[in-house]
Amino acid sequence: MNLNDANTRRTILQCIVLGVFLVLAGRVAYLQLFDSKYKRLAAGNVLRSEVEYAPRGEIVDRNGLYIVQNKECYDLMVVYRDMNKQGFDTMQLCNLVDLSKEQLVKKLKEARYASRKAILVTSYIPKETKVRLDEYKFQGFYTVCRTARQYPRKIAGNLLGHVGEVSMRDVERNPDVYKVGDYIGITGLEAAYEEELRGVKGVKVLERDYGGAIKGSYMDGAFDSLPVPGLKLTCTIDARLQAFAEELMVGKVGAVVAIEPSTGEILVMASSPTYDPDELVGRQRGNHYMQLQNNKRQPLFNRAVKAKYPPGSTFKLVQGLIGLQEGVLTPSTAYPCHGGYHVGKVKVGCHPHSSPLDLRNAVAQSCNAYFCYVFRDIIENRKYENIKKGFDSWVEDVKSFGFGRKLGSDFLGEGAGYVPTSEYYDKVYRGSWRGLTIISLSIGQGELGCTPMQMANLAATIANRGYYYIPHIIKHVEGRDSLDSRFYEKQYVNVDAKHFEPIVEGMWRGVNVEGAGTSYAARLEGWDVCGKTGTAQNPNGQDHSTFLSFAPKDNPKIAISVYVEHGGFGASMALPIASLIEEYYLTDTIKRPHLVKAIKEKQWRVPKKYVE
Amino acid sequence: MSSRGGKISLFEGVDRIAVLLYVVLVAIGFVNILSASYNDDAEIFSFSQQYIKQLMWISVAFSVALIILLLDSRYYHMYAYYAYVFGLLFLAGTLIPGVSDVVKGAKAWYEFGPIRIQPVEFAKIATALAVARLMSNYTFTIKNFGHLVHVGLIILLPFIIIIMQNDTGSGVVLSSFILVLYREGLNKWICIPIIIVAVLFVCSFLFTPLFLLAILLLVFTLSDAMMIGRWKMHIVFAASICFLALLLNVLSTLFWGGALSGYASLVIATAMGVVVAALYAWKRNITAVFLSLALFVFSALFVPTADKIFESVLKDYQRERIISFLGITNDPRGIDYNVNQAKIAIGSGGLVGKGFMEGTQIRYGYVPEKHTDFIFCAVGEEWGFIGTMTVLALLCALILRLMRMGERQEEPFSRIYSYCVASILLFHVFVNVGVTVGLFPVMGIPLPFLSYGGSSLVAFTIMVFIAIRLDSTQQSGITAL
Repeated sequence: MNLNDANTRRTILQCIVLGVFLVLAGRVAYLQLFDSKYKRLAAGNVLRSEVEYAPRGEIVDRNGLYIVQNKECYDLMVVYRDMNKQGFDTMQLCNLVDLSKEQLVKKLKEARYASRKAILVTSYIPKETKVRLDEYKFQGFYTVCRTARQYPRKIAGNLLGHVGEVSMRDVERNPDVYKVGDYIGITGLEAAYEEELRGVKGVKVLERDYGGAIKGSYMDGAFDSLPVPGLKLTCTIDARLQAFAEELMVGKVGAVVAIEPSTGEILVMASSPTYDPDELVGRQRGNHYMQLQNNKRQPLFNRAVKAKYPPGSTFKLVQGLIGLQEGVLTPSTAYPCHGGYHVGKVKVGCHPHSSPLDLRNAVAQSCNAYFCYVFRDIIENRKYENIKKGFDSWVEDVKSFGFGRKLGSDFLGEGAGYVPTSEYYDKVYRGSWRGLTIISLSIGQGELGCTPMQMANLAATIANRGYYYIPHIIKHVEGRDSLDSRFYEKQYVNVDAKHFEPIVEGMWRGVNVEGAGTSYAARLEGWDVCGKTGTAQNPNGQDHSTFLSFAPKDNPKIAISVYVEHGGFGASMALPIASLIEEYYLTDTIKRPHLVKAIKEKQWRVPKKYVE
Repeated sequence: MSSRGGKISLFEGVDRIAVLLYVVLVAIGFVNILSASYNDDAEIFSFSQQYIKQLMWISVAFSVALIILLLDSRYYHMYAYYAYVFGLLFLAGTLIPGVSDVVKGAKAWYEFGPIRIQPVEFAKIATALAVARLMSNYTFTIKNFGHLVHVGLIILLPFIIIIMQNDTGSGVVLSSFILVLYREGLNKWICIPIIIVAVLFVCSFLFTPLFLLAILLLVFTLSDAMMIGRWKMHIVFAASICFLALLLNVLSTLFWGGALSGYASLVIATAMGVVVAALYAWKRNITAVFLSLALFVFSALFVPTADKIFESVLKDYQRERIISFLGITNDPRGIDYNVNQAKIAIGSGGLVGKGFMEGTQIRYGYVPEKHTDFIFCAVGEEWGFIGTMTVLALLCALILRLMRMGERQEEPFSRIYSYCVASILLFHVFVNVGVTVGLFPVMGIPLPFLSYGGSSLVAFTIMVFIAIRLDSTQQSGITAL
């Protein structure tokens, strides 16, 4: 080998060495300087974000009694790649958290497809079980603290509503707030005040080692945030009154709504039948929900704000007021009644009472004929071109009372009720209709549909002599000075205050003067109760029983409407319920326990549609 | 640097740059082992801490280096063959059942109480000495076929033992001697196929046997043609083997119901081709063809057949276990897992790294073997691009320095030995770092001077310091022999 060749070979070998190192350096440079994915992957390896759920806001009643509380419960999560590769005692885990092996296997399979992600294994694990889980230390499994609802008084299921996991739609609509697995208010207050109640989730960024064991906080918690609890709500409901109302309504179908006239705060909103709100919490929520859903009495239907009931005789108050305002009636106007209102083929029957009656006594006696005259006078008033115009004016006045439209409360799912329009009658009667055609409207029958809340609002409006506050269910939100301004504005109806006195007088007479009216049983010593019964006929069976009342007559504290489907006469079912609730609210005692007992035991003939 | 005459001190003529590079690399290694193996739970100075053990090994290594510098340089030439025989016996001893300790599937360890020794690291030194001794004989010429076979046997013997230990990675290291042979004048058309075969062997699990055999056939025919010319004949030879294989396959499909697969057809055709070529070479007396044929037959037996068993006969879990036995990977969760984690650790270091003891991937155990074979990940994650480039530059400088030291020798023995050391180091660095950055399958060989482990540190120290000692003799003017 000559020297030249040796030199060549030496140079080539040096080049090989340099080449090898260049290849390595180039590759390292690519990894460290140009490909940013490794930083991300490293973070993905080490960091685990643990969500800290905010406790949902709690709800108290107007007196500070808890009606919705939180209880600690835990979600069991698993991260597949952190699991013990040698396996673990699945039976032990299953028994501990009360899960079948099949369910666990299914969850683990799910977790395997997203091996880095935390997958929910099961939820609503009580605290005792969580402590035991921590003892056993199943690798890769961890618990997340959540809050579940509990209802110390087990009242107002429909009012409060329930909480469940967010739907995909919620997540898509609000991806910053909701992640799959979060809870959201689904109905009732929980849904209406979701924003206030949900709070803000916190996050903890943790470092973990290869085996999944937590090594501590990442960057000393620089990226952590604490959960902000949801706001506490003070409900306008009086919990004891609500419970009492629900108790009285047991076995009946209908609703009770009571309002504080001076504020529009809803004191009672009971829909019957109701359900135990605790049943819609926890793992069995789905099953219980289906059971309630399939119940023919529809306990999930919030009758208090959604049902459309014919108001019956209670609506005569509205007729009287509009009549006075329209000038077709004075308090002393008297009409005769001999067993009803008979014009041609039209016959509206009436119960026997003295005749003729003036307005006050007609209200007290609930004379059908009287208000037929009034109604015809209103809509057939000559100051309107035709009956249609007259009717339209009447509709407008009725709507000013809150009928036929949503009142705009803070409660979701409020129904509008129904007030027919002239267009509707044009369609039905092909343009040819007159006062007599629709005469049943005069006594709150026919096409009219009112929600119990609208009727209670009517009671409040009369109690206030001409205005109401929009009924609302929340009195105070923690940390806020006031509610939405609409709840502080007086909503005036189209009837002047001066016209209310004879109507109120009639309602007072009906209760307080023996023999003068239908509501004598509702009187309370010293409280000047005013009331109006209603018995709404319906073709499906026994009449609906309703009662509308407020007390006391001056500076009223409570306005109430009770509606019992197929309850018979207004005085026989709805009246005593309303009276007892008023008594309990005003005097804080029940002096008529026999009445309570009688109401509870009252035979109620179940209509066919409710037979399961 | 040298002082002729004068007092000859211990460090007379010692290449200070090489020693400095060595010391710096060992120090860097220690810092990274400290970071990678530091355990919060154990006591700082507990002997169970790996960095304390490494500190002990470093002191052992420094002592050994001193002893080597004290010994007469002629001993290495004199006792080269003895060292080789002893090294082989030491290595083969691990194969005796019950003697060795199985670690990660390889039966490559002796255990003396708390100390484990990996003889393969020392066998490399022995082989390097033996190769240098043989090739430095005055009568040795690389052009001689018989001489070449001698060298081949010296390298092949430890290779076979190492393969029997299931320590493929260390075995393949021996192929780095090809660079030494090249430096000493071996025809490059023998070197190139050998390198290709080594690469194919390492990556054999990636390819089908048919593909491997076809590639081997092509490589050797081509290199043979480059060596002796006669292109037309080689092309005809390769084409006829292909044609024969195709014909066999088609015929068997038509008349024999497909009894012969494509692979079987090619094996038969190739076997016939080898016989024909051997007869031709014998008749014409062309020894170069024999060389190619011998290499081809060896590679063809070794490379694809090992894999044939792999692919078809074994079940999946057995395959995975064997892949891990071979040291290709030792994680049953997936072949790519280790490398992925290593790449993540290095890549997440960025330009300046996360800082000493701050590497999350290393500290939290995401990188397997983080203080031994994957120590480069600790450098990459904690010291970033600056750290990795420093380490690579130091290693590169040491290798080039060793080559330069070799070139300035008058004695062929010293030169060849220096080149052996440089080649082994180069191979180790290339493969080890290559594995951590995902250029090679996982092979389980240490990064010289940096990886944790007494055997490798002491062995590399001996290896390098023998070269420095041989060089210092040259530099200080004392003529060996």
